Amino acid sequence: MVIRDRACARTRRPFLSVTAADRPPGLNRSTATVATLLAAVSLLAIDVGSAQAAEDQPAKQQISNEALLKKLDAMEQRIKMLESELKRRPPAPATAAPSRTPAPRGPYADAVPAPTAAAADKAPPAAEAAPGVSEPARKPILGLADSPVAGLSIGAYGEFFFGAQQNSAAGGQWQNGFDARRMVLLPTYQITDNIIFNAEIEFEHAGSGFDNDDKLHGTAEIEQLWVDFKIIDQFNWRAPGIDLVPIGWINQHHEPTEFYSVLRPELYNGLIPSTWKVPGSSVYGTLTDGVKYQVMVSASNEDFGDSFDNRTDAKTVPPPGTAYFPGIDGLNALGFSNPPLGDFSQLTNNIAVSGRLDVSPAFAPGLAGSVSAYYSPNTTPRGAHDDMGNFLGNSSLAVFDAEFRYRVPNTGFEFRGEYVEAIFGNPANLRANNDSDPTNNVGKTMWGASGEIAYHVPLGTILNSSWEAVPFYRYTIEDLQTGGFAGTDVNAPTGAGQLQFHNVGVAVFPSPKLVLKGTYQKVINKDPAGANSDSVLGGVGFLF
Amino acid sequence: MPEWMKWTAPAAAVVSLTSAAHAVQYLTVAQAQKLAFPSAAQFVEVQAGRAWKAESGGKVIGLFVFDHVIGKHLYIDYTVALDPAGRVLRVDILQYRESYGGEVRQASWLAQFVGKTSASPLTVDQDIRNISGATLSSHHVTEGVKRILATFGHGIR
Repeated sequence: MVIRDRACARTRRPFLSVTAADRPPGLNRSTATVATLLAAVSLLAIDVGSAQAAEDQPAKQQISNEALLKKLDAMEQRIKMLESELKRRPPAPATAAPSRTPAPRGPYADAVPAPTAAAADKAPPAAEAAPGVSEPARKPILGLADSPVAGLSIGAYGEFFFGAQQNSAAGGQWQNGFDARRMVLLPTYQITDNIIFNAEIEFEHAGSGFDNDDKLHGTAEIEQLWVDFKIIDQFNWRAPGIDLVPIGWINQHHEPTEFYSVLRPELYNGLIPSTWKVPGSSVYGTLTDGVKYQVMVSASNEDFGDSFDNRTDAKTVPPPGTAYFPGIDGLNALGFSNPPLGDFSQLTNNIAVSGRLDVSPAFAPGLAGSVSAYYSPNTTPRGAHDDMGNFLGNSSLAVFDAEFRYRVPNTGFEFRGEYVEAIFGNPANLRANNDSDPTNNVGKTMWGASGEIAYHVPLGTILNSSWEAVPFYRYTIEDLQTGGFAGTDVNAPTGAGQLQFHNVGVAVFPSPKLVLKGTYQKVINKDPAGANSDSVLGGVGFLF
Repeated sequence: MPEWMKWTAPAAAVVSLTSAAHAVQYLTVAQAQKLAFPSAAQFVEVQAGRAWKAESGGKVIGLFVFDHVIGKHLYIDYTVALDPAGRVLRVDILQYRESYGGEVRQASWLAQFVGKTSASPLTVDQDIRNISGATLSSHHVTEGVKRILATFGHGIR
């Protein structure tokens, strides 16, 4: 091409210049310039060759053979110099390489474009991804296009519910409703291959608004915010940030495609106060094939469940004489005890330690499980007091969890099971046992267990995707008010803290990134008035 | 600050700083090539940075392909080794960048691909196990191997 068009090239463009359109894919500007130098020198050499061939045209014989030879020698030296310069330069990053092959179709076609068939015997493209070379500029944003910011990608997950549920505040009346439960944006920025930024920006219940016509009472919150330093496989560091306590399974894997019921599994609705997010820092890694660990230090949970505004400027609970709600109680378990994430508003100096060990043994394909624990030396907040003005002393908190997931190979069966227990160091110092409410008291421990069976049914290819249905049943039992009560309250629990849940339903996956759910939930407790919390819900969840 | 933190925090910081220069790359392409074709005398590049023919004694003994797919948000670098008939000999994960889902590196999971051909279903929950907690990564790696087999799995000429 260059040879045929060389005359035009010389007249229309400055000598030794190159335009972006000329630049071969994959060559950066400097490399392209050097390549152009080589091409131009070669072009000139061909020109000279042509001039030599035209000896029978005296008008053009203005350059002697001797001069031509000298010029050729000079050009040869120049070519050698440029070639050596090319060799010294690092390989061109593939970030500048636009694909020359059509992008593959399909749900996972957002990776490297596949070479054309039988390409193995053909000449290689001018530039393709070099192994080991990072390609931040090709990271997608929202899965639609190359990221405008090199290294940045934005994923998302979310879920919304609809259906009917009993309202216990209305005597168990069945009421229809809808909840845009959460929409979460997941920015990930690959600072380097080893330093990764991650965040979760969550909007719950469709966000918040101030005007009456907004009709919004949701939240916008940072659920995760951290930077990972990927050091070696066995040891990586997550710098201080907002992170999820490494306990149980669903707390860290709470995307709606990870469980089959519309609502999150019940053990994560108090006993494990999911989403249990804390200011913390951790180390993690892989010990050996199939064994991973994570250890975290974090701000401690605190036994304060009242309005954020009721924290004093002194970073204490309200002064004696002013009642406040507990963070730990026998009806909501640990549901209101998570530490605040901002403004230095934590009510305790205590540091909690938590850790998990994940195992997926090679000898049992399809089986995975974990054991995990959390320990805080003291959850009592500054200035904690009973309703008679007496200050409360320390009480530690320990939480243990063990769970497994087993997808039976070559069958559709899947089984899951989990046990979790919370142990309080000194129940006499828990606010719930000293708040004049005799029904929400806490014993020495709380515990819960669940078992689930599911069956995976392939539905075939529909709308260019492989669908799967997963009917399931899950049973959960919890006791949030065991024996061992101590405190100033009258102890008269109603039985509302002894719970059983039956969940039955089906989750349909049009793709691994999308799930349509339907669940009937029956809630039973020992309160003579009943739980009045049954529901029939549909849901849509997504993750990409 | 608790006593144990005073000891462990500086150590962790030192390890972090001194190790930052090392890439978390489990295998290089060359290492993966050697693992897949230990008897190969040379690897002849047939697509730059993408595909190589493994040769021994002047004969082609297989094809080695480097590719990457997106896990959840970031790329997973992986390689697939094929025999001359287009059957999978080996799959390796060279680099996994995300913080969750790294179980696709497990040897027992990758071993499922051995022997697969372009005629295999290569579908998660059919002939490839899903990994809970690494659902997207397991689907995407499976999809990537399937694409490589669709492209190169018809035998080497």
